[in-house]
Amino acid sequence: MNFVYPLAHALGGVMLLCAFSLLSQRRLAAMISIYQIEAIVLTLAAFWQGFAQHATELYLTGVITLVIKAVIAPIALRRIVQRFAMIRAVETAMPVGLSMILGVGLIGVAVLVVLPTTMNSVTLTREDLAISLSIVLLGLLVMTTRRNALSQVIGFLSTENGLVLAAIGMPGMPFVAELSVALLVLVAFLVVGVFVFRVREHFDTLDLTGIEEIERRGR
Amino acid sequence: MSAALLAVLIPLLAAPLLGFFGSPRAGAIAILILNCGVFPLTIAVASSPGDGLLHADGLGIIFGVLTGFVGLSTAISNIAFVRGEAARMSVRRWRVYHAMCLVMIGTTLLGLYADNIGLLWVAVEGATISATLGVSLPRTASALEAAWKYFVLGGVGIALALFGTMLTYLAAQPILGPGLQAMSFAALAGNAAHLDGSLMTLAFVFLLFGYGTKAALVPLHGWLPDAYAEGPVPLTATLSGLMLNVALIALLRFRHLLEANFAASGGAMRPGPFLFSLGLASLFLTAFSLWRRRDARRFFGFSSIEHSGIAVFAFGIGGAAAIFGGLLHMILHTLIKSALFQALTRGAAMRGGAGPDNYGFSHLRGMMTTSKPLGWLLAFCVFALAGLPPSGLFCSEFLIISQTIQLVPVLSLPLGIGLLICAIAIIRQVGPLVFAPAPKGTEAAIAGRGIGFTYLHLILMLVVAFAMPAFLVTALSGIATALQ
Repeated sequence: MNFVYPLAHALGGVMLLCAFSLLSQRRLAAMISIYQIEAIVLTLAAFWQGFAQHATELYLTGVITLVIKAVIAPIALRRIVQRFAMIRAVETAMPVGLSMILGVGLIGVAVLVVLPTTMNSVTLTREDLAISLSIVLLGLLVMTTRRNALSQVIGFLSTENGLVLAAIGMPGMPFVAELSVALLVLVAFLVVGVFVFRVREHFDTLDLTGIEEIERRGR
Repeated sequence: MSAALLAVLIPLLAAPLLGFFGSPRAGAIAILILNCGVFPLTIAVASSPGDGLLHADGLGIIFGVLTGFVGLSTAISNIAFVRGEAARMSVRRWRVYHAMCLVMIGTTLLGLYADNIGLLWVAVEGATISATLGVSLPRTASALEAAWKYFVLGGVGIALALFGTMLTYLAAQPILGPGLQAMSFAALAGNAAHLDGSLMTLAFVFLLFGYGTKAALVPLHGWLPDAYAEGPVPLTATLSGLMLNVALIALLRFRHLLEANFAASGGAMRPGPFLFSLGLASLFLTAFSLWRRRDARRFFGFSSIEHSGIAVFAFGIGGAAAIFGGLLHMILHTLIKSALFQALTRGAAMRGGAGPDNYGFSHLRGMMTTSKPLGWLLAFCVFALAGLPPSGLFCSEFLIISQTIQLVPVLSLPLGIGLLICAIAIIRQVGPLVFAPAPKGTEAAIAGRGIGFTYLHLILMLVVAFAMPAFLVTALSGIATALQ
């Protein structure tokens, strides 16, 4: 018995835990820290998979993840928080307890959907896939339950971590590094977007409740 | 180097140059020159389709030529647009605008020519980013809102599509082995019967919602009317309308994998019900939304949702004839809609520039008094969009309805009612928009050069629908039979 399965699952499990605790956090600074931990664990997972699958490409994915997602992105996000003085707790669209119950439901759905359909695949891939689908869905849930642009971005970043986790778990999948770079471009645009769009200038806050303006102004 | 590779690379490599240098006018001329080069290349792809990752099949070639043509005619009308609007945005933003126009054409061609599900995904992602940047360019509060909405919805769609792409790879990997083969459309289609059916079904659900977001299927359509209405029209409505085709073709190809797997009893579910229910939902949402729109861009944005829905419905019905109808519908709709948006921008420019409310129907009313050639052009375009004969869309819709009656008769009644409501909603705009008395103080103006090229769209539309050249019939029916 080797360490490949338990360690890969343990890393995936820690990421799932991070994704889940994003749901319960109401302060942006804490959400960013949790995201940072998630990204660091993803780096470790990429290195571990690279070692287990003897794929040098995955080391590259790991390095990219470490530099951009675990270091640069959190710094940028913290800057935004400081600049716009968003220390206060952010508004949520539904009670935290309810969104956590929904989150548990989503994890259940992910496991029930993935495990029976992947009977023919390697065990490692199956369970990794269930974990990463859960992370993807939890990230989307964070995006829908928050009214604040920055916490929606963090939700998307978590979703994106789940996707990369799935990609590195695929046996011999080509283009993993390229795909993760392409995802990073999207993420970079999102983070820069919050900066550049300066949503705040137009809405006074980063709250997106103002998005209804289009509806009111007669189409 | 194959023509396909060149056609993709030229716009993508030129984009950074245009992004940093040049005046708005120089940018518009550069785009025109580049498109003059890309359009012949898209035709040359037929004889040099490339190999490996970028290998254009028949479907890619036909829609590539269409993309090249619309790109060229948009570049022509873009010159007038830039001349009229130059003062509205800073030089730096115009540069970004022109760079994004090129990225949009390059990524659309990449998405059409790619024989790799990963590359297809990258193309769609690049197009999403460039369209979002384009929508945000006017920097008004509502444009930023629209861009943010587009980004969030498009980002979620892209994330789901990537997950579906990975699941497809996982389903193919035991048969085709690890590596590039398991991501090639050609190899996947050849071995569709042996793929893991249940995994393919799961993958298809993710791909349907992922690429369905890009194809603006209800309930994932929310970004489209806002993006069309808030961004600079040639980029966010005409060029990004080409991206709908890429998403629809992606859905068609994945549908084929699932259908072939089901036919060989490989354990997959039938994709038809997923597709035609989303298609009908799009049709009906539009049928009721069209009546309440006051902004022309939003109105015609909703009509794009309708036509996307009709194409997906046709793919859902299945069978060679219905797929032929769906593909024909996509070609005709692209021709008409791009001509329509070109006419609209010109009309709005002649009524005092494309300000925030300058595309309101009340503002654009009575185009005939402003300019006769433009008025007739607008009348023809809007009428053609309604799908009543002698519009080309009548042909494709007739084909789709007759196939529905034959294959899934239950759906023919809702389809017919939806089409009828949409047609009435569109046709009732022709009168006020073109022939009604114009708002007070409107003066006659000259439509300017380049309008003839927009008429060419409509002539082509009639030729394709009623006198389709034999080689195109052979090619399209071959594709439809292969993908049924």
